[in-house]
Amino acid sequence: MADVRLQGVSKAFDEVTVIPALDLEIADTEFVVLVGPSGCGKTTTLRMIAGLEAASGGTITIGARDVTELRPGLRNCAMVFQNYALYPHMTVADNIGYGMKVRRMPKAEIEARIAEAARILGLEPYLQRRPKQLSGGQRQRVAIGRAIVRQPDVFLFDEPLSNLDAKLRIEMRTEIKSLHRRLNSTMVYVTHDQVEAMTMADRVVVMNEGRIEQAADPITLYERPANTFVAAFIGAPSMNFVPAQVTAKGEGLALRLEDGSELAIPPERWERYGLYKDRAVTFGIRPEHNAGGDTGAAVIRMTARTIEPLGPHTLIIGEAAGRGYTAQVDSHFPAAPDEMVPISLDMSKMHIFDPETGSCI
Amino acid sequence: MMRRPLVFGLCLFWALVTLFPLYWTLVTSLKPPTAVNGGPTYLPFIDFVPTLQAYRDAFSGIRGDFIAPFVNSSLISITATALAVLFGTMAAYALVRFEFRVRLLSGLIFAAVAIGGFVLFNEALGYSRAEAMGLAFAVSLPACLLANRLPLPGPVLGNNDVLFWFVSQRMFPPIVTAFALFLLYSEIGREGFKLLDSFLGMVLCYTAFSIPIVVWLMRDFLAALPVEIEEAALVDDVPRIRIFFEIVLPMARPGLIATSLITLAFIWNEFLFALLLTTSEWQTLPILLSGQNSYRGDEWWAISVAALFGIAPMMVVAMLLAKLMRSGLTLGGIR
Repeated sequence: MADVRLQGVSKAFDEVTVIPALDLEIADTEFVVLVGPSGCGKTTTLRMIAGLEAASGGTITIGARDVTELRPGLRNCAMVFQNYALYPHMTVADNIGYGMKVRRMPKAEIEARIAEAARILGLEPYLQRRPKQLSGGQRQRVAIGRAIVRQPDVFLFDEPLSNLDAKLRIEMRTEIKSLHRRLNSTMVYVTHDQVEAMTMADRVVVMNEGRIEQAADPITLYERPANTFVAAFIGAPSMNFVPAQVTAKGEGLALRLEDGSELAIPPERWERYGLYKDRAVTFGIRPEHNAGGDTGAAVIRMTARTIEPLGPHTLIIGEAAGRGYTAQVDSHFPAAPDEMVPISLDMSKMHIFDPETGSCI
Repeated sequence: MMRRPLVFGLCLFWALVTLFPLYWTLVTSLKPPTAVNGGPTYLPFIDFVPTLQAYRDAFSGIRGDFIAPFVNSSLISITATALAVLFGTMAAYALVRFEFRVRLLSGLIFAAVAIGGFVLFNEALGYSRAEAMGLAFAVSLPACLLANRLPLPGPVLGNNDVLFWFVSQRMFPPIVTAFALFLLYSEIGREGFKLLDSFLGMVLCYTAFSIPIVVWLMRDFLAALPVEIEEAALVDDVPRIRIFFEIVLPMARPGLIATSLITLAFIWNEFLFALLLTTSEWQTLPILLSGQNSYRGDEWWAISVAALFGIAPMMVVAMLLAKLMRSGLTLGGIR
């Protein structure tokens, strides 16, 4: 078990820089999820840790070892791939044991480790089958088994659940999480699915265009996003962003939206936002911090376009203050498409962002 | 509705067209001389009385030795196919998985140093041709490898250029190389190393001439394999050579079989090189077959037997390999 440190690691393909210098420290036994839209560099980062992609600059350290120039096999990482990457011509047992066989481990030891991995992953009945005869979930378990027997310093997962159907994905999610608890090892996990990131990670690293936008535990990420990118990426449905202006209201502050409606800012935020008085900002509020009706302290009117009843609650999707807006309301709240609907906002959960830089104020 | 019988009828017709020559060869081989010369006859036991005389003649050797060329052809084509497929697949794998950057100028340096060096060592310094050739090569190879590392001007060739270079070796007429090869072999023979009319000589030339086709075919097969499987093995510290033999080759089995079949057929049927480079000892079957009608006149029954000798082994091999290929295809990759 070991920690992983990336210091100023960059990657360029020919002249195109896909990752400018990136710093990331992953603590020993930590479960870190790299998440971001496709092409954000998360997989490239993982592959650089594995050694499958050479870093163009910077150093990568695993434990006390500088592995930057080391070939993949010597880094003592184990990797699980999106499409399982099992050896199609070998049985499950051979798939799990092949690496150990190549490394000339004693036969009894190999068999013991295969048996142990099969027990942990519930693969015992399938050891003599070929990958082709297994379901997607079983194949991914074999791939994980192959990683476990390596007893690596670091586990690397590259979107391992993307090829599974939704139900199986949720099952495997909990399985990998409990595996992490059981093995107590360092894991780096790449996904584009923010739900997967939030549910599994000790710490989520949100990446965009090769840069780390924010690295924090899931709740911090949700409650205090560092910028509009993180705010929009984390949480589903996505946070609403509405242009606004911070104005004085009495002795306090308020937000004035473009449609003229005014929303009082709670007193505990006055000091923090004071500097931005009379300046344009981006006001952000998550759909779930809305309620139907005009009973709250801050009320806006939105034009409903689509009503999506989800059971526990209903989403109203439409426009407010000239921007797309989504509100999550009670299932029985009366609303119909193309109607004006009053929505109460929970201003204690509000965010404002600098419209130039996108960073949180 | 009407199309299925029509298509079936056309297929049947075409099958008859392609199978008839085979049938004709087979029945002719069973005919006595009188049945051949007396106009066309088609059905044994009805049109004519079949005889195995032509086969007995062939095995008794009165029409020339059949057994030795058959053994020669088998040994040469199997060995050369195995070597060509092995080395060609290795080259194809390298072209698929690694990036090559070859400076055009360093290639030109190789040519210039090799030719110039040969002239220098042979003409000016008085070494024998073979020695001069060896020395020139020993100098030019390191020179061009070194030159390739320098930031020389001019175009840089990539993997596709290397592939084209491989394929281009099959673009000019074989007779051009055949004569050059004959001269090279006889030159080396003069130094006391026999390549003309020898097993080694034939295997070497067929291997060399089959590798381009193997590279070209295998590259596509290997490129279709998922790279993650090899990456998983790399992370697991499996050496590249074991990845190639224990993971890549088994996965590429259908491709290997198809390529082997094509290569084997090419070598088995090859005529020109065999004609120029062999004289007696290592003559192959095509040379023997071509000599049949001049040997004792147009004895079609005997020529048919000889032709069947040439055709039958390839048919058997094709059927066996096709069966293997089907079982290989079901193995396949995992999606």
